[in-house]
Amino acid sequence: MTTHLGVMILFAACVSVVFGTLMRDAPRDQLVLAGRIFAGLVVGAYAVGWLMYFVYG
Amino acid sequence: MSPSPSTPSKATGSTRSRAAGDATADTAKVTRLCVLAILVPGLGHALVGQMRKAAIFFVVLMTMFAIGLAFGGRLLPFSTDEPLVFLGAAAQWVLLLPRALAVLAGLGAGDVVAVTYEYGNTFLIVAGLLNALITLDVYDLATGRKAA
Repeated sequence: MTTHLGVMILFAACVSVVFGTLMRDAPRDQLVLAGRIFAGLVVGAYAVGWLMYFVYG
Repeated sequence: MSPSPSTPSKATGSTRSRAAGDATADTAKVTRLCVLAILVPGLGHALVGQMRKAAIFFVVLMTMFAIGLAFGGRLLPFSTDEPLVFLGAAAQWVLLLPRALAVLAGLGAGDVVAVTYEYGNTFLIVAGLLNALITLDVYDLATGRKAA
């Protein structure tokens, strides 16, 4: 769990749950928004990671 | 007999003072809710009747705070020499009661050589910043800017 990927996923999960709960009222909407934010954070981190690898690696 | 010219102005004055009193009471209530929301994550939402949201905020933010401490994160001091440390400390103090209890328990010294040190700091700071957003939501709910 202390790999960068594991910690990043844990962090993304916590942040997405808070934002989903904060910005929507219906449980289903909260779940959908939290899922989107979680996916955005994880996929975005991967994309930026690969971008840095190709640019600086 | 016609009412004296001063009667309407007296009524208006009374209404105005009552409105001012209500506004003061509302301000006091909103301030109290926001302070309690800063004190314990989720308490503000619990007091405006949103128990499910309150429970989620409490569990997630306390988990983030505990993970931050477990990862060797540091409870930052208010140091004016280093602006970023000062801002980090300000963010961490938005979780008032957990942060104060952790200091009293002797936690949060920070393990600088730990691999997870910076991760821990990030969890501690972001937990405080998320609680700041949650407190703003409590303010909106308490003032009626957002429907409860």
